[in-house]
Amino acid sequence: MSLRLILDLIARLALWLLLAPLLPGIINKVKAWVAGRRGPPVLQLYYDLARLWQKHAVLSTLASPGFVIGPAVAWVALAGAALLMPLGPAGSALSFRGDMLLLIYLLALARFCTAWAAMETGSAFEGMGAAREVSFAVLAEATLITALLALCVQTESTSLVTMLAPAAGAGAVLLAAGLFTVLLAENCRVPFDDPNTHLELTMIHEAMVLDHSGPPLAVILHGAALKLLLFSLFLTEAVLPLGQLSTLAATGALVGGVLAVTVGVGLVESLLARLAFRRVPLLLTTAFLLCLFALLMAWKGGAE
Amino acid sequence: MPGLFLLVAATGLGASIAFGPRCARLWLGLTLVGTAAALTAALGVLTGTPEWTWRSGFLVGGEALYFRLDGLSAWFLVLVSVVGGLGAVYSREYWSDAHNPASAPRGRAWWSALVLSMGLVLLCSNGLHFLIAWEIFALAAYFLITLDRAQRAVRTAGWVYLAASHAGTVCLFAFFGLLAAHTGGWELGPLRDPGELKPLFWLALAGFGVKAGLFPLHIWLPSAHANAPSHVSAIMSGVAIKMGIYGIIRFSGWLPVPATAGWVVMGLGAVSAVLGIAFALAQNDLKRLLAYCSVENIGIILVGLGAALLGRAQGNAAWGRLALAGALLHVWNHGAFKSLLFFGAGSVVQATGTREMSRLGGLWRALPWTTALFALGVLAVCGLPPLNGFVSEWLVYLGLFDAATQRAASVWAALPAAILLAMAGAMALAGFAKAAAVVFLGAPRTQAAERAQECGGLMRSPMLVLAGGCVILGLAPMLFWPTLARAVGSWNPNWTAGAAPAPLTALSAAQIAVALLAGGAGVWLWRKVRGNGLRRALTWDCGYAGPTARMQYTSASFAGIVTGWFGWLLQPERQLRRPRGPLPAAASEFVRVPETVLERVLGPVGTCVMRVSETALRLQQGRLQAYILYVLAGLIAMGMLVLLGGQP
Repeated sequence: MSLRLILDLIARLALWLLLAPLLPGIINKVKAWVAGRRGPPVLQLYYDLARLWQKHAVLSTLASPGFVIGPAVAWVALAGAALLMPLGPAGSALSFRGDMLLLIYLLALARFCTAWAAMETGSAFEGMGAAREVSFAVLAEATLITALLALCVQTESTSLVTMLAPAAGAGAVLLAAGLFTVLLAENCRVPFDDPNTHLELTMIHEAMVLDHSGPPLAVILHGAALKLLLFSLFLTEAVLPLGQLSTLAATGALVGGVLAVTVGVGLVESLLARLAFRRVPLLLTTAFLLCLFALLMAWKGGAE
Repeated sequence: MPGLFLLVAATGLGASIAFGPRCARLWLGLTLVGTAAALTAALGVLTGTPEWTWRSGFLVGGEALYFRLDGLSAWFLVLVSVVGGLGAVYSREYWSDAHNPASAPRGRAWWSALVLSMGLVLLCSNGLHFLIAWEIFALAAYFLITLDRAQRAVRTAGWVYLAASHAGTVCLFAFFGLLAAHTGGWELGPLRDPGELKPLFWLALAGFGVKAGLFPLHIWLPSAHANAPSHVSAIMSGVAIKMGIYGIIRFSGWLPVPATAGWVVMGLGAVSAVLGIAFALAQNDLKRLLAYCSVENIGIILVGLGAALLGRAQGNAAWGRLALAGALLHVWNHGAFKSLLFFGAGSVVQATGTREMSRLGGLWRALPWTTALFALGVLAVCGLPPLNGFVSEWLVYLGLFDAATQRAASVWAALPAAILLAMAGAMALAGFAKAAAVVFLGAPRTQAAERAQECGGLMRSPMLVLAGGCVILGLAPMLFWPTLARAVGSWNPNWTAGAAPAPLTALSAAQIAVALLAGGAGVWLWRKVRGNGLRRALTWDCGYAGPTARMQYTSASFAGIVTGWFGWLLQPERQLRRPRGPLPAAASEFVRVPETVLERVLGPVGTCVMRVSETALRLQQGRLQAYILYVLAGLIAMGMLVLLGGQP
């Protein structure tokens, strides 16, 4: 491994770690703006993380060391998935055929570790959250794989750099709608989950981390922000033809795209109510069908 | 050279059958020598020694013995000998003379017989001897499953296994018989030309499919694997069902196959993967869950094999080779992590006396080793990086994705298979998050779980070895690529050449990085928490003052969402006693998921057959007059038939 690659990876990691907590701040600002409030500062999550990192932790008497190690492994998995993601004009530091599958399975590893840590406490609320998380992920993962297949067939390649460079073709709108829905589900945003609710019975992600505190909670919150940035980037790069633009334009399009997605999440959250849980599979199936149609269009487009 | 080692292996195992009932230590030593020798022979063939064949000068059953050890059979022989040896060590503590004085001695003999007969199945290159070895293998497995035959459930499971196994063997009799009739001899080997042999593949698929446990031929598998002693479950699930896979791979390599074979195998594989794991998710019995998960993994292997068949049919496409490599690697991987998980389940059963997950919980404190090793196995079986399950699934996926991007004709099989595999993978994660969490985390739900004791060194060391195997296969898959390429090459000679594909090396680097960073981050965060100051308190649970263990989420409620989607298939039986009145005394809900194919399809059909037979039985009441009447009526009927226009 050359020195240059290591420096490249460190630079990327720093960029990811620093920028990720910005997104929840922007979403909250948008929500406050729609509601006519002033809202918390955009950098609020940074303050929270710094504060939590210094605090001492309270652990359940039932919890094993896995309660702390789980969030750490999940965070590593999410950061690893982020490093696999190409950054528009900067390309990817580590790219190989089939890297998109590693990305999907790293997300799965993060999910497993979060669910494991949630189950450590023996709490029914946390069990409920974990059960919902892993169950809805079945549909979300099928949707993601379908979206990846669509991109693979469209670009006739199986590595993220080449898959994400050109535009998504005829099925771009379908793909964007499907991926945006998956983004909302996987990041536990409205209409799948309400990050601000005070009723534990209706939560997914927040219910899983009820008993976490101090540094582990900081790691979990930062990991969630990384995941949100990862999905926004993926959506932007899948739809926009970044590979065909000049470096400056591509960077602008990338940043603009991620911002647009973030603002979109904020608007959805302001304008929609949370769905009843029995409707969640329905919405996810719709997202799956959207991606499936995108896949069929990609197939048809190439055949002509 | 492999011949010498195989002779040592056969002698060792043969002697261990003889000494097994009397002297446990000698048995263990002989079994270990035998399996080690077999392992050496197999690894020798996989790492470069030319394929080994031997034909006897004498006849057995009218045929000369013909043994052959090539890349493919050596690949499976490695698995047989590793799990055979480790299981023997495990059983010394788990099924010891002290605890099971009646069954332990015969269990040892049957264990050696099982390992020896599976080795013979892999070596025999003569249809007649293959069938004999296959039958000994089936019987040895039956006697091992029913070691604890005092229990009714065990006897039933054994009978279902024996019946299903013989239904499969009937297909194999027909297969080998027809094959011998067409080729004029019992000896087996690569045959390419005769197209009329193609339909025989379906017989082989059915016969070997029963043993492999592919859906819907898996009916015997869950109850047999759940009720057998855990070391037997481990070798049945990790190795014995792979003999079915071996048969399908072997004869699809040697014989011409129908054009639709690849499509059917891939379809069956994808269905097995999704439905197998759906059943697994719904189980509340730890070992039944593991058993159904084997159906899923067999599905993954078959998807890879199906893609390989399609790839071979379409001009030996490179993606077929990737998929076959993934399937074969998954044979090893599943053998390693499933045996590990069954050994872990055995440790739980020994410590608590129950397999019901709703009676367990919080075992991590009493069983720290078992918990850690089981957790590792769970990560591997879910196909999560950086362990071995991910590598083989990744190879299969890559084969499917390549088939899709190259717009080969088989894309219509590859696309749905990839999507279904993704669903199965996510469901496996849900199922094993549930199993591991309900059994090992939280608070103990019963006193039995509270008083659990960790297993001893003889049970722990085989688990450690298997866990090490999972880690090495996961972190350094390219070390095993040359051996894998040899196994693939003996299936299709056109796929022999080639170094490890470049992405595999990159993947391996990424896996190592993830493993190191995850370990480092875990330790670092733990130290940070300790450094910041750490306080222990009751689970907060939004303000409960006195949470009890019974308030925890159970395995059935955890799986409720997904099993609801598959309600049409699973048909769970519910017994619900609702709380009544202002101060309800008792309420309960009992959920059982039946084996749908066995109880809802085969059961009623069997009952119908029995009814019809009973009706026919009325004709036979032992009176001579009646029989004379039957003969007379038969003669008259035949005479009418001839008179009315039958040709003489």
